Amino acid sequence: MNPYVLTILLSSLGLGTILTFASSHWLLAWMGLEINTLAIIPIMAQQSHPRAIEATTKYFLTQATAAAMILFASTTNAWLVGEWEIHQLSHPLATTTVMLALALKLGLAPVHFWLPEVLQGLELTTGLILSTWQKLAPFALMIQVAPTINSSLLIAMGLLSTLVGGWGGLNQTQLRKILAYSSIAHLGWMVLILQYAPSLTLLSLFLYIIMTSSAFLTLKTNNSLTINTLATSWTKSPTLAALTALVLLSLGGLPPLSGFMPKWLILQELTKQGLPLSATLAAMTALLSLYFYLRLCYAMTLTIYPNTLTATAPWRLNFTLITLPLSIITILALGLLPLTPAVTTLLTL
Amino acid sequence: MLKILIPTLMLFPTIWFSPAKWLWTTSIAQSLVIALASLSWLKWSSETGWSSSNLYLATDPLSTPLLVLTCWLLPLMVLASQNHISPEPLNRQRTYISLLVSLQMFLILAFGATEIIMFYIMFEATLLPTLIIITRWGNQTERLNAGTYFLFYTLAGSLPLLVALLLLQNDSGTLSMFTLQYTQPMHLLTWGNKLWWAACLLAFLVKMPVYGVHLWLPKAHVEAPIAGSMILAAVLLKLGGYGMMRMMVMLDPLTKELAYPFIVLALWGIIMTGSICLRQTDLKSLIAYSSVGHMGLVAGGILIQTPWGFTGAIILMIAHGLASSALFCLANTSYERTHSRTMLLARGMQMILPLMTTWWFVASLANLALPPLPNLMGELMIITSMFNWSHWTLLLTGLGTLITASYSLYLFLMTQRGPLPSHIIALEPTHTREHLLITLHLIPIILLILKPELMWGWCF
Amino acid sequence: MVNFAALMRDHWVNIFVPLGFVIGIYMDSAQDQKLTAFRNKSALYSRELKPGGEVTWK
Repeated sequence: MNPYVLTILLSSLGLGTILTFASSHWLLAWMGLEINTLAIIPIMAQQSHPRAIEATTKYFLTQATAAAMILFASTTNAWLVGEWEIHQLSHPLATTTVMLALALKLGLAPVHFWLPEVLQGLELTTGLILSTWQKLAPFALMIQVAPTINSSLLIAMGLLSTLVGGWGGLNQTQLRKILAYSSIAHLGWMVLILQYAPSLTLLSLFLYIIMTSSAFLTLKTNNSLTINTLATSWTKSPTLAALTALVLLSLGGLPPLSGFMPKWLILQELTKQGLPLSATLAAMTALLSLYFYLRLCYAMTLTIYPNTLTATAPWRLNFTLITLPLSIITILALGLLPLTPAVTTLLTL
Repeated sequence: MLKILIPTLMLFPTIWFSPAKWLWTTSIAQSLVIALASLSWLKWSSETGWSSSNLYLATDPLSTPLLVLTCWLLPLMVLASQNHISPEPLNRQRTYISLLVSLQMFLILAFGATEIIMFYIMFEATLLPTLIIITRWGNQTERLNAGTYFLFYTLAGSLPLLVALLLLQNDSGTLSMFTLQYTQPMHLLTWGNKLWWAACLLAFLVKMPVYGVHLWLPKAHVEAPIAGSMILAAVLLKLGGYGMMRMMVMLDPLTKELAYPFIVLALWGIIMTGSICLRQTDLKSLIAYSSVGHMGLVAGGILIQTPWGFTGAIILMIAHGLASSALFCLANTSYERTHSRTMLLARGMQMILPLMTTWWFVASLANLALPPLPNLMGELMIITSMFNWSHWTLLLTGLGTLITASYSLYLFLMTQRGPLPSHIIALEPTHTREHLLITLHLIPIILLILKPELMWGWCF
Repeated sequence: MVNFAALMRDHWVNIFVPLGFVIGIYMDSAQDQKLTAFRNKSALYSRELKPGGEVTWK
């Protein structure tokens, strides 16, 4: 793409999210979300083959619907209560509608159906932006309206998302769809704890962004889109293959990797709030997603030569990707668990 | 505590900077130095129950024998793996030894932990290197299935444990083992409390394993390479026993009624797994099922919560760890020569490897609990205390002892005695390394006959 | 001994574990000092040290 056009689009993308962060009026927040959507549409449609256009169209329709619902909810609230402030959203109709709209924007169950198909149609870099940057603005809004939302709705959506994320990913062989279902499961965890400790939601989001960025950047380095092509990555970079297995298990929430930290802290908060059954259920659904992460580990690292040759070795060419961000993010995705006491203290700020 | 942990951490740069010629020698020598240093924990000079403590780690008479066993096992594991890993590229060899060292590090942190959440995290952390060892360096296609079973059985048991521990922290305000033993007994009356009790113990029952949830063990043991089998049999199963003994302190008084089904399951498991052993064709599978049987006895001893039961459990854990690991090493020597685990194919070995037969003999005797070896000491204490708890258990435990003796003898006779099959030609003679390995396993068992106080624990 | 330089070149890695041992002992004793800073200094519960002992917790 023309570098000037790309600059404009990327800066609009940044502008939209920052606008939503900085806003206290619903109209400005909605405007930020719309700028975001409009800026990413051309980035998604760069490739202009039918699958990418289909993904772009689906993304546009769902995001536009969600934005319209947000507008509707905020105007309803302004009519009924007289307030345009974001954190003063008090009427139950408005709060429920806004929650459903933000769920649609993020890809939470039961309105998650667009996420795997959209992610599958995109390139890996665009998929990375969709999974990480695009989650920030809706979460900023969600945290501000969290206290007034019906708590059963939040818990139901959270548990349903972890279940759907785990179950849905079990039958997939396309890596982008697997990462989409992993996104749904992680979003479920984030939403579970939203009303009780919003700082844990932010921590979970932050760690999820780090781990997913590591996964996407690794896939971009190996240029692999299916499980079968993943099997040849050890020839291209053996260290990366070994570390990515650990990153995948970190996404699954195994101690002593950093993915365990949000799960542990969320389970702790849920038990403190008197929800041990939800905690147990959420913990067990994490096992479902762990199964497909483990399968990816097997395909990528744990079956390498001389044990089983699952694919032929490809040509090894130079990397065109800058590897410094990948290495930093991978180290962060693996080693942050000992920081938990510091994190817990910082979270109370 | 740190004087063993930091040298273990220093093993990592030692391994990665060693020249290729000296890699194995250096790792074995340095881990032996650490193992000898760990024997200093056995000197008990403290006036309280705990010693060598800092803010997060401490040792007490329960964890000390298990810690020494862990540190002792590392040089043995490296010694056992030397032959089959040597053909691999150098960095893979270094990765393998590093995985073993990281397992030791997690195990030291697990056994030395004073806060139960730290124990939990290290308990889970040991799964990761073990999984990598089993699935990457195992030899057959079934190893992937074995790794999945291993990971998921253990995790399905331990995730409820995490929630249960967090609930306990809510109620009692602390999870430090120092103070939890002195809290008031809780009023555990509701069905929810009973579920909490079960959640606390389920993880350890799966890890031990007790008969109903034991399916991961034969798979994992059979598919693992020798170092994986050794560490699994000797130490990782004992993590379950150790965890149970720690948790029992706060689970009174529910345990009196609720432990019945688990004791029954454990005892029945001894009979069932013993009977399966008598019909096994796979050598490693036989030893794996025998592990399930012995650990069933340990589980029974812990669940009845008597001093002799606890003491017998610890003694049996240490003795079984060493004996089972020795049997796996012996099975591995047979496997490395014939590349088959089928007992029918590699029998009559006394004809060609008579010195190895001595070791097979002593290890089988240890497995069938011959006096005066500590295996018998442990088993007898558990059987006696269970008889005191209920006379009917003597039927199950007595029959279990009989069947254990039968399959241990069957194991020995099948692999060593009888005619040498005609297809076995040109096997390598026994390496000195293999003799050293088995000696280092069996000498501690024999020495422990003379001073079992070292591993008696704090109940005696 | 035979050739000290060659010995060093081949076996310098063996310094790591003993070094770790020394560091570990040092850190353990520092921790002991921290945890027993107020031992035997109470006016009510202090006691005379036995002949030949310099701390009460050994």
